[in-house]
Amino acid sequence: MLETVDLCVSYGAVKALNGMNLVVPRGEVTAVIGANGAGKSTLMRTLAGLVTPQSGKVLFDGVSISGHKPEDIVRNGMALVPEGRSTIPELTVEENLRLGGLWRNKSDRGASKNVVFDLFPILGERASMRADTLSGGERQQLAIGRALMSNPKCLLLDEPSLGLAPLIVTQILELVSRLAKETNLAVLLVEQNAVTALRVATTGVVLNLGEVVKSGPAAEISSDEELRHAYLGY
Amino acid sequence: MTNFLDYLLGGFSNGAVIALMALALVLVWRSTRMINFAQVGQAMFTTYIALTVQQSTGNWLLALVVAMGAGLILGTIVFFLVIRPVKNSDTTGAIIATFGVLIALQAAAGMIWGGDPEGFIPPVSNAGLEFAGRVWPISLYDILVWTVTAALVVGLTLLFTKTSLGLSMRASAFNPEVARLSGVRVNRMLITGWALAGATGAIGGVLIAPVASISPNSFDILLVFAFTAAVIGGLDSLIGAVTFGIGTGLVISLVSGYTDASNAPVVALVLLTVNLLLKPDGVFGHHGARSV
Repeated sequence: MLETVDLCVSYGAVKALNGMNLVVPRGEVTAVIGANGAGKSTLMRTLAGLVTPQSGKVLFDGVSISGHKPEDIVRNGMALVPEGRSTIPELTVEENLRLGGLWRNKSDRGASKNVVFDLFPILGERASMRADTLSGGERQQLAIGRALMSNPKCLLLDEPSLGLAPLIVTQILELVSRLAKETNLAVLLVEQNAVTALRVATTGVVLNLGEVVKSGPAAEISSDEELRHAYLGY
Repeated sequence: MTNFLDYLLGGFSNGAVIALMALALVLVWRSTRMINFAQVGQAMFTTYIALTVQQSTGNWLLALVVAMGAGLILGTIVFFLVIRPVKNSDTTGAIIATFGVLIALQAAAGMIWGGDPEGFIPPVSNAGLEFAGRVWPISLYDILVWTVTAALVVGLTLLFTKTSLGLSMRASAFNPEVARLSGVRVNRMLITGWALAGATGAIGGVLIAPVASISPNSFDILLVFAFTAAVIGGLDSLIGAVTFGIGTGLVISLVSGYTDASNAPVVALVLLTVNLLLKPDGVFGHHGARSV
């Protein structure tokens, strides 16, 4: 599905990603965890086309998409929910959602909207309200909903736990994980909050200073005490 | 009291045109977060084109449509030639560049059409209507100006609130990155904003020409008033631009009526200063909209 091959990204002299190899299969959640500055957001921004890699490749369905524009990448089936409040507060909930799939035809959009409202019913109830009236958890649902409106084959979630209560994050992520299984969606989740991320993920990848230090089944990673102490800080 | 009413009514048509120019400034602001000082120059140039069309065909409506088309094209050209190359590096540079475009357009118009003011024949009578035993400072032409302005404002509002293009443009203005990540071709939306601004300004130019006559510099003062209205309205807000465009028209009409027309720009700048001191985000602006 989604694959990176020897991906290198630098900001000036700083190497943010140093030869990263990653495979994100369909139907499950893959979690990339690591401390601040490990290169997690850089990875996501590169995959979404906001940052151009120095070398290496991003393969999507076996086709290289390195250097493609973000608007083309999302139209191709890979949607990023960026870090923080990635909704547009001045628009209504309905408009934020509609924005996510404007290029698609009306009936396809309608179908996706039903999927989103089934997954996050609160968005249906608040459809005509401005996004800035929503709570943090509702906004995160809206941001994910907007990404789902593009009917992605691959969903990228950048640090969805940021600023949210752990219980809400777990609820949202469990819904996403179920959606991944049910609709054969590939989900790449990037998190500083390793406990929550590994709970919903099938595979875990530990990133440190732009390099993968360990990858394997999520349960294995979360039970590896040494790894936890060294890279995850708990 | 009669004077007051006359001045007030007389200010509406000027206000409508100021509102259109302010709208043009707001459209550009919303797409690229900068002021296009060439806007009145573009309007002047397209009004000359309209004048040429009207002089050769005698058809006012055709002249208006051609001016709108020319406005769309000129807005796009200005975006590509001047704004786009400097935009990424430095907005201040781009703003200064728009002054360059203004001067170039004025020089070009002078070379093509000459520097002498020319009259623009209105399609309907510009004489005050007689009603209830007196002549009012409202003409058929004024009513036409209001109608066209109102239609344009309604049209733009519907475009922004009801269509996919409008939603894409708003999203691109509020948060270009989220818009791109949602699949919106943001660059095209920016160009569309500039093009629409060009067409809006073109309509304003054609509407004011029969009242004001046209010369390469005749719209300069309009920039002062439109800028004032756009800033007080919050720069981000269509309704703000229209409200304070008409408001500015009324104020300058009263000032010109009771004192002297030459005081109007000073009053406009005083209003602008007071606004910036008391409510720097503008009356209809979002807080932080101008934090660039």
